Amino acid sequence: MEAQLDSVILLLKRKRITGSFAVSKATAEVLRHYISTTRWPNARVLIDQVKAIGKRLIETQPLELCIGNIVRRVLYIIREEYLALKKDDHSRIKLDSSRNNLLTIEDPDDQDFQQSFNGLKSSILEQIGYLIDELKGFRKSISQQYKEHIHSNEVIMTLGYSRTVEDFLREAGRKRKFGVIVVETAPSLEGQTAALNLAKENIDTTLITDSAVFAMMSRVNKVIIGTHAVMANGGLIATSGTHMLTVAAKYHSVPVMVCTGLYKLCPLYAYDQDTFNDYGSPSAYLKFKEAEHLEQVHSYNPTFDYIPPELVSLFVTNIGAHNPSYIYRLLQEYYYPEDTLEDDDN
Amino acid sequence: MNTNSTSLELNPSFSWVVDMFSQEIKREVDTAIAIPAIKVLTEVISKSQAFTIMGLQKELEYATAHLKQCDLNTSISLSSVCELFIRFVTRTSLDFPNFDQCKTTLIKRGEQLSDKSSKSRTKISHLSNRFIRDDITILVHGYSRVVLSVLLYASSQGKRFNVIVTESRPDSSGYKLAEKLEEAKIPVKLIMDGGVSRIIDKVDYVLCGAEAIVENGGIVNKIGTYQISIVAKAFKKPFYVAAESFKFTRSYPLDQSDIESLKKEHDTFNICKQCCKCTKPELLTIDSPSLDYTPPSYITLLFTELGVLTPSAVSDELIKLYY
Repeated sequence: MEAQLDSVILLLKRKRITGSFAVSKATAEVLRHYISTTRWPNARVLIDQVKAIGKRLIETQPLELCIGNIVRRVLYIIREEYLALKKDDHSRIKLDSSRNNLLTIEDPDDQDFQQSFNGLKSSILEQIGYLIDELKGFRKSISQQYKEHIHSNEVIMTLGYSRTVEDFLREAGRKRKFGVIVVETAPSLEGQTAALNLAKENIDTTLITDSAVFAMMSRVNKVIIGTHAVMANGGLIATSGTHMLTVAAKYHSVPVMVCTGLYKLCPLYAYDQDTFNDYGSPSAYLKFKEAEHLEQVHSYNPTFDYIPPELVSLFVTNIGAHNPSYIYRLLQEYYYPEDTLEDDDN
Repeated sequence: MNTNSTSLELNPSFSWVVDMFSQEIKREVDTAIAIPAIKVLTEVISKSQAFTIMGLQKELEYATAHLKQCDLNTSISLSSVCELFIRFVTRTSLDFPNFDQCKTTLIKRGEQLSDKSSKSRTKISHLSNRFIRDDITILVHGYSRVVLSVLLYASSQGKRFNVIVTESRPDSSGYKLAEKLEEAKIPVKLIMDGGVSRIIDKVDYVLCGAEAIVENGGIVNKIGTYQISIVAKAFKKPFYVAAESFKFTRSYPLDQSDIESLKKEHDTFNICKQCCKCTKPELLTIDSPSLDYTPPSYITLLFTELGVLTPSAVSDELIKLYY
């Protein structure tokens, strides 16, 4: 068992598994494997073990926030199944009411999760199976919502290469005729891959440079983007360049829609551009040949942008479309506050 | 719940409530007004001679009427705590139809409640700790014990930050706060209330307490809070509020005049004879309320012991508390 966990951790560290989706799937599968193969006397012990594993996994790629999200989802599943078995029928209704409020009938701290139940393991594994199914099927659920959002003869602007957005636009392209303007997204230039893929689907695609965004924005009806993570206040951590796009959209009163699976929803807060950010190598846009002339020059290549919630109009997720101010509600349904505080590595 | 009519009737057999209340306040000087209030109301239940829930609720209503009318009612949170407690009694009575069982449970839970409330400030300090980083400058308005404990906790965790405190006239409570921060070796600067716009671009965010949090996620706080929140919004600086959850009030003000019903204005604005430059200040009309209402659109986040909330989450939490 340790061997399997170690091999996954090594793959993550060496970035052999990259991309939020692949990483989340790997995390969920390794946790499921762990829960099914190891022996644990009760839920408390299991929760502590999963937290320890979670911390090790998060350390491999600290900026891949989905790892933490999946770990928290699994912890939520464990606690829910335990409470369901403990109460037999009433627990789910009680848990809908605020767990943390001053007037809670049972102090949640009193729940030590130490009772052992027979059916606990199988019900936890079943729920994790549903989680993995949700992960596999989220793009389809999002794509099916195209009807409400994309209409004929619209001009849509998108940035970067997001497979979720690509599926969404591809599904819409089968039934509706619309145009897409793709922003190149320097320095990775992943927008070029996105434009190529869309063009192959016979969608009318235009590729523009990052600097042309503001100039083209007046002709755009909607902006549809993907994101790396969604923060607890409805803000986004997205590819560098997205903030500029959303500010231009706000100026022209163009709605900004974010297509994302709920596994990217993170219970943490980002308060500035640097909280969950990394700097890549400037060699992406600076040639080594010019290095001797650039001794006095500082070059920055930030990987992500933080976009505050006021700049986002709608989240299109696998459970429907929601307002940024509704995100706190989704958080309550998927994560426990106790897990949020302790897994926080800030 | 018709508290309006009972607030005028003062049943004399409950005047001991006020004495006990003042005793409790004197015993624990720095706690929020809610904890002594909860203790007093729990005592009312244990001393109660009623045989039914209705009777118990009636007695509690008399007691809260006394508390609200007394001179020690210096904050709106007292009314919200009393309402919360009465709501708590109703909710518990629904779970325990047997009156005696209900009464003993109420007393036990009343003690747990005051215990939980006294820990809320610590919990808020822990939650807000992540938002305080090294080298930032925080602007604070008014003297809030919650904000003070947040800043002291962060400083005790080894964080190095600067604080700018407004004078907070008319009671100049900013000086008290600045003194306490100075004792804890936190770099503090005092500015005039009017100097906020000038200093705002050097500030990372604004942090305030609240006297009450209203249903739509807005807050009622010391006069000047609304002004500072508008300046913060104009400069795109976050505006954070730190307050305990028992300050949530079931009131929905639509504009500034709607908050007048929340608090009796005890202190009228006293003209400082040395500061004013006119010979007959008594002839001047002065309108200086001590509170104002800040709408939720100017507030970024609220730090409560229920978690870090966005203003839109507040109404949700209120519904859960009250229903």
